[in-house]
Amino acid sequence: MIRRGTAMDGKRVLRLSNGLQMRIGNLRAGAGFAVAAVLLAAISTGLGLTNTGFFDLLSALSGDPLSGAEGYALWTVRLPRILLGFMVGWAVALSGALLQSIARNPLADPGLFGFSQGSMTMIMLLLIVAPAAPKSLVVLAAVAGGLCVAGLLLWLVGGERSSGLSIVLMGIAIETVLSSFGSLLILYLPTETSIALSEWLAGSLFQANWTMITAFIPLFVLSLAGILLVGPAMATFDLGTEMAMALGEPVARSRPVILVFAVVLSAAAVTAVGPLVFLGVLAPHIAGFISPAIARARLFLSGLVGGILVVAADAVTRSLAGGLPLPLGLSLTMIGVPLFIIALRLQALRKQQSR
Amino acid sequence: MEKRGLFLLAALPILAFTLAAHLFYGFRPAEIPGLIAAFLHFEAQSYEEAVLLFQRVPRSLTAIYVGSISATSGVVLQSLVRNPLASPATMGVNAGAAMFLVAGALLFNIGTGLQGAAALAGALAGFLSCVAVARFAGRQNDPRGLSLILSGALVSMLFTGITNALLLSDPARRSDFLSWVIGNINHAYIDRLAMFWWIGAASIAAFIVLARPLTLILFGAEKAASAGVNVPLVSRAAILAAVLGSGSAVAVCGPIGFVGLVVPHIVRPFVGNNLVFALPAAFATGAVICLLADLVARQALHPYVLSTGLVTDLLGGIVFVVIVKRFYLSPSNRETA
Repeated sequence: MIRRGTAMDGKRVLRLSNGLQMRIGNLRAGAGFAVAAVLLAAISTGLGLTNTGFFDLLSALSGDPLSGAEGYALWTVRLPRILLGFMVGWAVALSGALLQSIARNPLADPGLFGFSQGSMTMIMLLLIVAPAAPKSLVVLAAVAGGLCVAGLLLWLVGGERSSGLSIVLMGIAIETVLSSFGSLLILYLPTETSIALSEWLAGSLFQANWTMITAFIPLFVLSLAGILLVGPAMATFDLGTEMAMALGEPVARSRPVILVFAVVLSAAAVTAVGPLVFLGVLAPHIAGFISPAIARARLFLSGLVGGILVVAADAVTRSLAGGLPLPLGLSLTMIGVPLFIIALRLQALRKQQSR
Repeated sequence: MEKRGLFLLAALPILAFTLAAHLFYGFRPAEIPGLIAAFLHFEAQSYEEAVLLFQRVPRSLTAIYVGSISATSGVVLQSLVRNPLASPATMGVNAGAAMFLVAGALLFNIGTGLQGAAALAGALAGFLSCVAVARFAGRQNDPRGLSLILSGALVSMLFTGITNALLLSDPARRSDFLSWVIGNINHAYIDRLAMFWWIGAASIAAFIVLARPLTLILFGAEKAASAGVNVPLVSRAAILAAVLGSGSAVAVCGPIGFVGLVVPHIVRPFVGNNLVFALPAAFATGAVICLLADLVARQALHPYVLSTGLVTDLLGGIVFVVIVKRFYLSPSNRETA
């Protein structure tokens, strides 16, 4: 049974028979985002050098075979990029949203904190030691690298007191060291690997293909399950560690688990397309701006916005840049910095008001 | 004050020794007297002499120029901004200069001379946007200038991103700038040094003239004013000199980061805050560090030659971490978040 009702704070909600309630506003926003994502993907299939588009895709699905060039553009280039882009954006945004709650820092981001860079450095080390390492080992290396940086950051910043801007500064510092270290490592790699790597280092969707997508789908499904599991805890973490403990959240156990979850998400994204900075901080902020939410709804909406942002950035670079191979990481940085500055401004204003 | 005297006395011999190491490392010891003689007639009669005169000497000169300019600019910026993390690299100056130069070269096809002018304009633009972003996004209660450094990092990221996008848009000319854009001391850039050295010399001259009033400003603006210092004029002139000097260094060999951040922290414990002594000390130390970094870049991974900018970024990043840890995160002076 689903009933309409009003929550304690006066917001309209839907109540399910098992006691779960969902805000109607959040549901609407989620549906809106989903529609936007589908529309955007449909438009994005029509952008590029080959003249084909969504309607060709529909007719192909209904049984009309496509010509060679159009089929290639749709099936081998555009669709994989859109699908992989959405899933990667989802993962990074989710990772950012999780980090923001457990670090209690609205500027937390796996890229800015250096987790992505740590994953990359570890992958490069692995490829130097064992150039023919299987894909599963690469993913493990990425997770290990991210965790190492997370540990380093916690040790440097001092665990509990990790709020404020100084952790961002520290993350940027670690990122600088790791990225110049990475440029050193490239020298030791075999030539053919290093050329493929330098594209991947910049964060790009050029190499998207169906094998990558099938490898990413299990993680995507897992992340949905993860949202359902850790979502309620996020709401208590937002209130602060003491409050979370008082509300019965086993902080000492659940915080490390959530951190590992966030690192796994970011590491998977790095393995697929390389580091994407700023996405993890932008997506949750935009989602929160459009439809304020907590707990599971916040995670879902952040993930959707992250996916939309990546698909949009990809579409924009493909249509505006013409033949210019602008990597996704670069366009995200160029969009991300101004928006990040605005986020800082808003945060400062809020602080002023609350004083 | 004994430490100060010792440091200043030792600085010149150390600089000379490093310079000698930079010039002669890798030659067989028996060849060296003959090579020194090559300086006298300044004409290469053998392969070794050609290497020395046309590769090593230009590299040394460039390293000394970049190192000394960055270090003295770093000292001045850190004193005036009153922030231990201030430096040309952390305040968007280097990234701005690099972006303007690349944009000018790729979009408008300007020659080397105008590229220098573009780098100077870019250095100013980078510095101003860093300050503007800090004003726009900063918190009211920010006594330690945290937001200034953060906005410097953001502005640098943005400008570096635009630079990379510009480079990608022109694959044919990309390779000309690919190593320059990481910061590369290379003998090929000696023409640029010959064209731009006077800018750096002028800004160092400005620092020498302003050293005493700047030191007075360190005691507080009111005290300096009562001692007859025109505080706004002196501060602005000094910052302008620092920014333009670093811009010219970028124009020569690309953004070599972090020397300007690290050197003031090496110099200060020995020489103190008085700029009359700190500036010469920083000049020598910066040159020594840049020569050493270049030596490491050249020899560490033989036969590969690294970009010097990579080495300084690697070392400087670690120092950056330590400074953030000590200054912003030690329990006694933790940020009031």
